Amino acid sequence: MSSSTAPNNLAAVIPSSCRKRPPLTKCNLSPSDSNSKPTLPRPPLFKAIALSSAASILLHCTPLSPFLPNPLAQFGGGGTTGGGGGGGGDGGWFHGGSGGDQGGLWQRMFAALADESQSQEWDSHGLPANIVVQLNKMSGFKKYKVSDISFFDRSERVRVGTEDSFFEMVSLRPGGVYTKAQLQKELETLATSGMFEKVDLEGKTNPDGTIGVTISFSESTWQSADKFRCINVGLMQQTKPVEMDADMTDKERMEYYLSQEREYKRRIDRARPCLLPRHVHAEILDMLKRHGMVSARLLQRIRDRVQKWYHDEGYACAQVVNFGNLNTNEVVCEVVEGDITKLDIQFQDKLGNVVEGNTQVPVIQRELPRQLRPGYTFNIEAGKQALRNVNSLALFSNIEVNPRPDEKQEGGIIVEIKLKELEQKSAEVSTEWSLVPGRGGYPTLASVQPGGTVSFEHRNLQGLNRSINGSITTSNFLNPQDDLAFKLEYVHPYLDGVYYPRNRTLRVSCFNSRKLSPVFTGGPGVDEVPPIWVDRTGVKANITENFTRQSKFTYGLVMEEITTRDESSHICANGQRVLPSGGISADGPPTTLSGTGIDRMAFLQANITRDNTRFVNGAVVGDRNMFQVDQGLGIGTQFPFFNRHQLTLTRFLQLIPVEEGAGKPPPPVLVLHGHYGGCVGDLPSYDAFTLGGPYSVRGYNMGELGAARNILELAAELRIPVKGTHVYAFAEHGNDLGSSKGVKGNPTEVYRRMGHGSSYGVGLKLGLVRAEYAVDHNSGTGALFFRFGERF
Amino acid sequence: MASPIIREWSGINTFAPATQTKLLELLGKLKQENVNSLTILVMGKGGVGKSSTVNSIIGERVVSISPFQSEGPRPVIVARSRAGFTLNIIDTPGLIEGGYINDMALDIIKRFLLNKTIDVLLYVDRLDVYRVDNLDKLVAKAITDSFGKEIWNKAIVALTHAQFSPPDGLPYDEFFSQRSESLLKVLRAGARIKKEAFQASIPVVLVENSGRCNKNESDEKVLPNGTAWIPHLVQTITNIALNKSASIHVDKDLIEGPNPNQRGKLWIPLVFALQYFLLIKPIKALIERDIENERKPAWERRDAGFRKRDF
Repeated sequence: MSSSTAPNNLAAVIPSSCRKRPPLTKCNLSPSDSNSKPTLPRPPLFKAIALSSAASILLHCTPLSPFLPNPLAQFGGGGTTGGGGGGGGDGGWFHGGSGGDQGGLWQRMFAALADESQSQEWDSHGLPANIVVQLNKMSGFKKYKVSDISFFDRSERVRVGTEDSFFEMVSLRPGGVYTKAQLQKELETLATSGMFEKVDLEGKTNPDGTIGVTISFSESTWQSADKFRCINVGLMQQTKPVEMDADMTDKERMEYYLSQEREYKRRIDRARPCLLPRHVHAEILDMLKRHGMVSARLLQRIRDRVQKWYHDEGYACAQVVNFGNLNTNEVVCEVVEGDITKLDIQFQDKLGNVVEGNTQVPVIQRELPRQLRPGYTFNIEAGKQALRNVNSLALFSNIEVNPRPDEKQEGGIIVEIKLKELEQKSAEVSTEWSLVPGRGGYPTLASVQPGGTVSFEHRNLQGLNRSINGSITTSNFLNPQDDLAFKLEYVHPYLDGVYYPRNRTLRVSCFNSRKLSPVFTGGPGVDEVPPIWVDRTGVKANITENFTRQSKFTYGLVMEEITTRDESSHICANGQRVLPSGGISADGPPTTLSGTGIDRMAFLQANITRDNTRFVNGAVVGDRNMFQVDQGLGIGTQFPFFNRHQLTLTRFLQLIPVEEGAGKPPPPVLVLHGHYGGCVGDLPSYDAFTLGGPYSVRGYNMGELGAARNILELAAELRIPVKGTHVYAFAEHGNDLGSSKGVKGNPTEVYRRMGHGSSYGVGLKLGLVRAEYAVDHNSGTGALFFRFGERF
Repeated sequence: MASPIIREWSGINTFAPATQTKLLELLGKLKQENVNSLTILVMGKGGVGKSSTVNSIIGERVVSISPFQSEGPRPVIVARSRAGFTLNIIDTPGLIEGGYINDMALDIIKRFLLNKTIDVLLYVDRLDVYRVDNLDKLVAKAITDSFGKEIWNKAIVALTHAQFSPPDGLPYDEFFSQRSESLLKVLRAGARIKKEAFQASIPVVLVENSGRCNKNESDEKVLPNGTAWIPHLVQTITNIALNKSASIHVDKDLIEGPNPNQRGKLWIPLVFALQYFLLIKPIKALIERDIENERKPAWERRDAGFRKRDF
């Protein structure tokens, strides 16, 4: 079989690469790289996507064992010594195509390669130097070391460089050690590949005992074609080639070929159309027209082009398996696209054994994109999406999305989702000690305070992702009544049922919090206003409906008790002020509605957020609108009845269109921001809107500009990308709209605040930290600030 | 606050007989109109002679005067009765401290006046000042903010140090009219009252508290223009007390201003309904539009149009 006539169908131009074996190697890509095309060995290999508990997305690429006669695959994939030698066995689930006479080729080939010797010892050829030795003249007992390999194109009478596409078909490597049998098998492989009309292998002895191998060939060619068709033959019954009897008469032979042709026509008709878009079709037609004669190299190029498109689009399992209908005017490219036949969700324990999971399957299913369901073509992007979505459930320590060939249905893909569940119950204690130096400069025993946080979580109740979690924080466990902060929350997702697409989550929580009131803050020049602490303790129940990942609507009921305290934790009903004489008088603005320092109230709270911002090369672009209303119900101390509302509009305008892609620079962005807050009805001071601060008007302290019933804040920021981060310039203004006197006791005036103010400045983003220089327009002085997080 | 001890108005006896007669006559007139008591609120900047004026009216040294020092921080009420008629005069500390309105003094005054009725406001300033400035305006504004615009219907401007020779031989009357005009103008601006409404109702009187005040033949203290000022002042007070405008009753609402928490409360259900229909619903619609227009990756779009495959 050293030479063969060009078959009607060129089978197996592409060695199959999808395999059922467990991955030999995994390469991990960090999420940031996931956009960039992984440097996969070609032909592309199967990928499994996996996720670690650290919530970073890892791409587990599993290059297949290099059983292929493909040096790139061997070395690129393995990275281990000489290719890992994992061939053979059950490889080759794509059969060698129809019509041809080389059915079962791959099985043979793999078997042949499987016994490739790994030994690095070699024998000298024992012949004079510079003698050309035919392959059949070589000794069957020697291990020859191949010093170099060259191709010789007989038809064009030229040597072919290593860049030629044929080179990748040879598994021999320069420097490798091979027996005669191996070389013969190699030759057989080449001869039966259908690429060559004639192919020979000969050795040339070198003085140092090695041999140089020359493969001389003449390429297969077929008649020129002017049509191109791509069909999806995945999941189709592969036609079993009928062995052609050597004793057939010409007539029988003719009949045989005709029947083959008819059968192939039927096959084409039955095949489903491909995903391949028109522009690639046109490109290939162009290639065919330009080239005239259809040659093996041309087919290789077509195969590369088609596969490139598939792999660029994420169809990682797509393979060109055959070219049919050669020697007619139409080239038929048979593709196995990788149709999903089954979606398999498995739970694993820590050791990787398949176990029955606690999580109910529909919880996972609803997170998977439709494109992973049977009937769709497997796409790596859909896999990544599934990975991200499932990861956002925060129920699993490890997630793997793994396509594997279906054994029962050829060309089919089973998508396996392997999940390792996190512990359902977890508890955590973190402690801290505080030491305060005493009078003599040394800390006393009494000043040692054990503090910390105790938190627990019980996740995934009933396998439906319901959870209870709680935490208690105090800075002094010996005296926790001083500053005990607690939170207990029950989360009930899929309120409408797990099968129902509407995504509503019920949250019920008990909470308390203690915050310094920015209402009782002095304006510029006011030395020190005694602080007022606002303690809130209450119960909250709300329902969140997620429309998209970012847009949501939350509505619920809040019942809380608000206590205002002074510095020494005594309940106080009025703010304090420092008299000119230095004394403190406690007749400032009232802190609560009731006038006693303790208010209780119940109100409805609704918040709708529309957020369609997205990242363009790392810069946020889009719109964010938020409206929140607190509607008092007249239930509570003094029957509070109010409507407190705020509307926030933020626009991130992309100023220059840029090309999107990893590593490309982000565009400059103009941020416009407006915030209106207002209240009708009862307004206790702790609910008044304050002006000034890093999230209101930068350049001022929290509440330095005033506390009012209605406020308006306007801001503009220009962000210019610089070397992976950005610098920005901003201008902001906050105004009480003359409504400071609408707050009982007029705290704005009592603490001598302006009620309005502007600022401008420049800043630099350093990771999470913003460093900015802001000029406060009221006093005209500037200061440098370091802030955490984003302003908008 | 406990009502002040009402004492017999004995100081009236120290006045010249002619003055006494006039005062008693005026009191009688008030009694005729069924007015048995009169409350006068004396306000003004610091050091203009408020306390001295009070002492002069009562005829005794009821309020300590301390020249060169700011007076005590608390208002003082002086109550005197004569023949069944009670005169209350409330002396207040100066409203200006360090170039600003002393909010605290004002606050104390307001609290002091809680549940009292003011019949007459005596706004005291000096005659011998050539200029008016922003401070006067601030004081007027503070008074208006505290007691409302109506208080100016019950106001008298008293200019102290009346025994003063105008510079450069300006005629006394001319200087007086110029001074009072400019002061009234600034008060009007501070009180944000229209010109006509203001000028018509606020009389300006002159006061000379000095012991070296010139006296006329009947031993009455007279001004350079010859009028006996105490009877004239009391006369003006009587006129103002009896004018059509109602007295100002200082209650909690007046001190604290209208309760902002009550404003617009009735509209809350409507506001809430409007918010629901004009904000929440449209935002929801916008979100739905966003979902429709979402830019889906190519693989998602492609499959969407491609799923007519038989399986």
